[in-house]
Amino acid sequence: MNDQIQAIGELDRVIHEPGRLMIVALLSSVEKADFLFLQNQTAMNKGTLSSHLSRLEEAGYVEIVKTYRGKVPQTLLSLTATGRQAFDNYRKKMKQLI
Amino acid sequence: METTGKLVDRPRQYHNVDGVGELGIGVMCLGYALLGWMQVHSPEHSAWNGMITFFVFIGVLSAVIHYGSRAIKLRITFPRTGFVEYRKRDKVWIPMIAGTCVSGMLAAAAAVGMRAHWNLTSAASLTGVFLAGCYAWGIARSVPWKWTVVVLLATTSLVVGLLPMSVLDALIGDSWVSRRHHLLSQPFAALWLCMTTYGVLTLISGGISFWLYLRRTQPQP
Repeated sequence: MNDQIQAIGELDRVIHEPGRLMIVALLSSVEKADFLFLQNQTAMNKGTLSSHLSRLEEAGYVEIVKTYRGKVPQTLLSLTATGRQAFDNYRKKMKQLI
Repeated sequence: METTGKLVDRPRQYHNVDGVGELGIGVMCLGYALLGWMQVHSPEHSAWNGMITFFVFIGVLSAVIHYGSRAIKLRITFPRTGFVEYRKRDKVWIPMIAGTCVSGMLAAAAAVGMRAHWNLTSAASLTGVFLAGCYAWGIARSVPWKWTVVVLLATTSLVVGLLPMSVLDALIGDSWVSRRHHLLSQPFAALWLCMTTYGVLTLISGGISFWLYLRRTQPQP
């Protein structure tokens, strides 16, 4: 097995899934964003988005904070330092492979 | 599927999804144009030409743009399409460094041009073309119809550069600038025209974007 093929196997599977890749890519260029923003940008339904976010939170890539904007509940999401590092590594690996 | 690079860029484009970014640019350009007009057309030692007035005016203008944009975002944009907080690096440092570099280069070019007695009217016109380029890179590449605005901005800037000197002289009139700094009065008039058109066009374009945004989106429960 040559190095390139081996590198494909080493890709971060948490980020590699298209839905989660969209979320991480969107969060990578902001400090934080809310659930509504991600829902609008990714065009995912609430359930799918929630499950992807839970998976990212489990992996320690995303921080989820529940708060209020006035009287309206708001879910704020941000990429953790680990998440940012993982996304950078993923992009580097993909650039090398393609 | 969209490339990852484009996805990373989307939150930055989201800043002007409601046209607020352009409305801010429009107000700023028209504010500067108003200040310039008042400075030229009032007596040399009037309050308009004092440093205090300059800083107060810029402070008020910046506050109107900052708090106005924030109010629109908080009350209209965030409840409809979501909240985004930008990274300090993108919000403060990069614009500040870019602004300082561009201002420095423009000031140096103007100083060299004045010494060499170049025709600075063309430089003012080229500044307009440069601003049109910035607008194209920052705003138009994400919204196709905004390319019309880019073409209008670039064309107006070039037309300003081709205007007869008599027209530019008429704009300044018999003011203290034309009497004391004759070399600067025509470039000033050209720059003033560029700023005013830029302000009006971005204000109209921002207004259309804002109207379209309100039509296409609804506040979320």
